[in-house]
Amino acid sequence: MIGMTPLTPQEVVDRFRNTFGEGVEGTLIRERAEGMKKRPNYNLWITLRQELLKPAIQTLIDISFPHLAVISGVDIEDQIELVYTFSLYFGVKHGEYLVNLKIRVPKSDPRVPTISDLMPSAVFTEREKQEMLGIEVVGIPDPRRLFLPDDFPPGVYPWRKDEKGIPPSMIKNLWEAKRPKDRPAPPVPEKPEAPVCSVECHDPSEAPNETETEVKKE
Amino acid sequence: MKPTPSFNRSLWVYHLNSGSCNGCEIEIVAALAPRYDPERFGVKLVGSPRHADALLVTGPVPNKMKERVLRIMEQTPDPKVVICVGTCGESGGVYYDSYSLAGPIDDVIPVDIYVSGCPPRPEAILHGVVKAIEKLEQLQGGAT
Amino acid sequence: MSGEAPVKKSSYTIPIGPIHPALKEPVMFTFQMNGEVVESVDFAPGQTHRGIEWMGMRRNPVQIVHLTDRICGICGVTHSICFARAVEQIMEIQVPERADYIRTIIAEMERIQSHLLWAGVAAHELGFDSLFYLAWRVREEAMDVIELITGNRVNYGIIQVGGVRRDIVEEQYPRIQQCLTYYRELMDKLLHVFLHDRTITMRCRDHGILTYEDAMKLCVVGPTARASGVKKDVRIDYPYCAYGDLSIDIVTPNLLMGEVRGDVYDRIVVRVLEIGQSIDIIQQCLDNIPSGPIIWEEKIAKLLLACKKAKGEAIGRHEAPRGEALHYVRMEGEEAPYAWKVKASSYSNLISWPVILRGEQIADIPIIVASIDPCLSCTDRVAVVNKEQQAILSKEELHRLSVEKTRRLQHD
Repeated sequence: MIGMTPLTPQEVVDRFRNTFGEGVEGTLIRERAEGMKKRPNYNLWITLRQELLKPAIQTLIDISFPHLAVISGVDIEDQIELVYTFSLYFGVKHGEYLVNLKIRVPKSDPRVPTISDLMPSAVFTEREKQEMLGIEVVGIPDPRRLFLPDDFPPGVYPWRKDEKGIPPSMIKNLWEAKRPKDRPAPPVPEKPEAPVCSVECHDPSEAPNETETEVKKE
Repeated sequence: MKPTPSFNRSLWVYHLNSGSCNGCEIEIVAALAPRYDPERFGVKLVGSPRHADALLVTGPVPNKMKERVLRIMEQTPDPKVVICVGTCGESGGVYYDSYSLAGPIDDVIPVDIYVSGCPPRPEAILHGVVKAIEKLEQLQGGAT
Repeated sequence: MSGEAPVKKSSYTIPIGPIHPALKEPVMFTFQMNGEVVESVDFAPGQTHRGIEWMGMRRNPVQIVHLTDRICGICGVTHSICFARAVEQIMEIQVPERADYIRTIIAEMERIQSHLLWAGVAAHELGFDSLFYLAWRVREEAMDVIELITGNRVNYGIIQVGGVRRDIVEEQYPRIQQCLTYYRELMDKLLHVFLHDRTITMRCRDHGILTYEDAMKLCVVGPTARASGVKKDVRIDYPYCAYGDLSIDIVTPNLLMGEVRGDVYDRIVVRVLEIGQSIDIIQQCLDNIPSGPIIWEEKIAKLLLACKKAKGEAIGRHEAPRGEALHYVRMEGEEAPYAWKVKASSYSNLISWPVILRGEQIADIPIIVASIDPCLSCTDRVAVVNKEQQAILSKEELHRLSVEKTRRLQHD
């Protein structure tokens, strides 16, 4: 990296476009500036065809060895979108870009190749995607669960929004557990859904109640 | 009630984290640090439940931890006092609707003293410990 | 249990855990031992998995900010900043400049208290309890100022989507200044007790080494990466909040030591130097803080309405005391976010454990495990499984082994 002029965000995107042509389905460069001097930081979003994931990561490695932050996943109707977040050019003052590679896999065949041969640190986050989204990472060196307990019901994936998500029967409303059942009725009827902060805040006079009253005005 | 000679107002506490966010943990340790220094009264954190007179339990008890909490409760010799530190152990707190919790703590083990707050201040935790000493003295004295 | 014990031919397994409080990453360790030496390490987090992301997908952003405060009690402001920044990017709103500065000040205050907390825990793991108490005593100064600014000691609740909820008023400046002066005067002493102490040098030098190559390959973050010479610090690489305005540079151990070894000692060096850096950052912020509003929209109902209209996805990052934290948020014009992924800093760092523990002794496990700062306040019990028979080695026992090693080295 030393001695090389870093590419501009546009050049990084162009590199992907030139390498993969039609395989790149969409690109977006987002610039954001904060503070008083408004120095910009850049987030790059590159949507790829599913099979181009590994060549794309290889392209990134050829530019400069990236840092894999995390793989995020979203359940979108009949597809699962995976976002591979890398940071490029770290160590260059104010010169780092966040590169997000997005692919979509169909739920009917939710398989992605492992990237742990290119980025050894990916195993951890790939294991999490397997248990949370029900995808299969082909060739993962360690396929065990990560966060969920071993007796977690099979076929339930917490981040799924379809019938494979968390069933209502698994939710335990802790605040209800020790609530006396024979309390006198409140003077005003209880709202169907309790505001979240009535249980948790140190200071009940702060924001949560404000939310409640304000919403009524609207 | 007169304190019994076996305790001599010196209380050993075992701290059990059952899925807490660490907020209560650092406040418990801060309560032991020199500013409050409860060790001058003999209050001390110990590394094994078998040495403890009181259990400080934090967190909303995830399913994975339920068995461990029960086991540690069994390992603590009688008479013992269980202090529940933090709101999430009492009612779930912010984690009130999670899918992976077995709590609140008093659904899993009997609790004697509740210290509310998210997290409670060190003073509040110490106050809970003082209450625990009173309770233990009662238990020792056989009073009901 | 001394180092001279005959080395057994067969290896045996030690599970450590599972009660381990690192927010999302509580860990159950399994060590393959050959005599006193660690052959390989495996770990299984998730003992305190609370399904935070899933809960977040059922709440609105203002409620989630309070939930993010409680992802980790030590990084009380980290996750809130990440989440708020992600939502702000989706909504395409600008945070008032003053709010950016207040966020920076409180984040650096948090770094001071977190590093001191870590320093105390590390000293405790070495059996150096006087230093543990010293670190925790001086930490209270930062806690007092945090309480003065935010109203809380832990889980500050100061961040709101679009800004901060409390201003730093004129009357508070002298107190913050007093705190900075206090730490500035203390820095020499801290450097002295942590870096020139014979015990610490003996126990930490050349133990738990993470080479530059491994650190790059394993994508570790924060002081763990910087101690191995990887220049990665979100505050400097990627300007956000007020960090883009400040003159700061990446802290690596060679600034003080002249070389990078990537061992436990280097991680102490980085953290102690970062306390100094944080003092400097807060000073710069206090000197340059602009006046003006502190939040994009004060009325929470209006804020929620704007959140509800937002569509898109974004990533919010922040350099936590332990390294980069990152939140991916996707909003689809509903009250609750459509997707939310939290990456805490330890999530990236835990993966280095197998590498840095390999070839070390049982007595060194506590300090090496603690050296990446995994919020290790109580890895509470260890069971030694020796073939069929099993003996429980408590945290206390493990700690005792560590203390004994210190004593042994002192007598050598």
